Amino acid sequence: MKCNFNFAAILVILMLNIVFTQKMVHQYYFENYVTAIIYCFLNLILFPIAILIYKQDQKKA
Amino acid sequence: MTHKNNKIPFNEDNYTHNINRNNERKLDRRGFMKTLVGAAGVFAVSSLPWGGVAAKELLGLGNKEYPHKKIVDIKSIPVGHSVDFKFPGEHDDAILIRLTETKYVAYQNACTHLRCPVFWEKEKGEMLCPCHHGKFDVETGAPTAGPPRRPLPEIEVKIEKDAVYAVKVKRYEV
Repeated sequence: MKCNFNFAAILVILMLNIVFTQKMVHQYYFENYVTAIIYCFLNLILFPIAILIYKQDQKKA
Repeated sequence: MTHKNNKIPFNEDNYTHNINRNNERKLDRRGFMKTLVGAAGVFAVSSLPWGGVAAKELLGLGNKEYPHKKIVDIKSIPVGHSVDFKFPGEHDDAILIRLTETKYVAYQNACTHLRCPVFWEKEKGEMLCPCHHGKFDVETGAPTAGPPRRPLPEIEVKIEKDAVYAVKVKRYEV
């Protein structure tokens, strides 16, 4: 299977999304607001990374 | 532009023109990847409000000013003793502790675990919640033992004309 790496990368990104969301909500309720914002930011930058990987995958085919 | 669907006859395997059943579009690997990227986007968008609310808390937009309230006269609270009062509302229990001649600390004394009242243990020098033995540091209000995980909300006090006044409830500090 070609481009298997890209597929795995997107799966990893989705996994990280879940982890970061969980952490963000918990840190918010623990009132560590700075940490919550950091996790929010990480969640946000994962999306463009996922798009980049998808585009790269499109280009290959 | 040479697009795959601009050819005649064009490729019928596309979203808008899939009359030929054998050629009907199925969820292929790339289509599934697109769904996953969309899911990442949903995660990103749904984490925005959390960041926004956290930023709001950090910037102190939720802070309120309450009218200053006299707690107690200085001469009626010896060093090491505490006195209970209500601030800012009539049903918000709070505790004032005189640590030294000049140092006073005040907290809202509802335990951050299950809101039992927190007491000042003079002999041990710590604040104790008797319900589940939660303990708080008297200097900062930070939890030191037991189930509570969040600090007690600190109340800012000031001394004026031989009396202690409650000024405002501070934001929780980490």
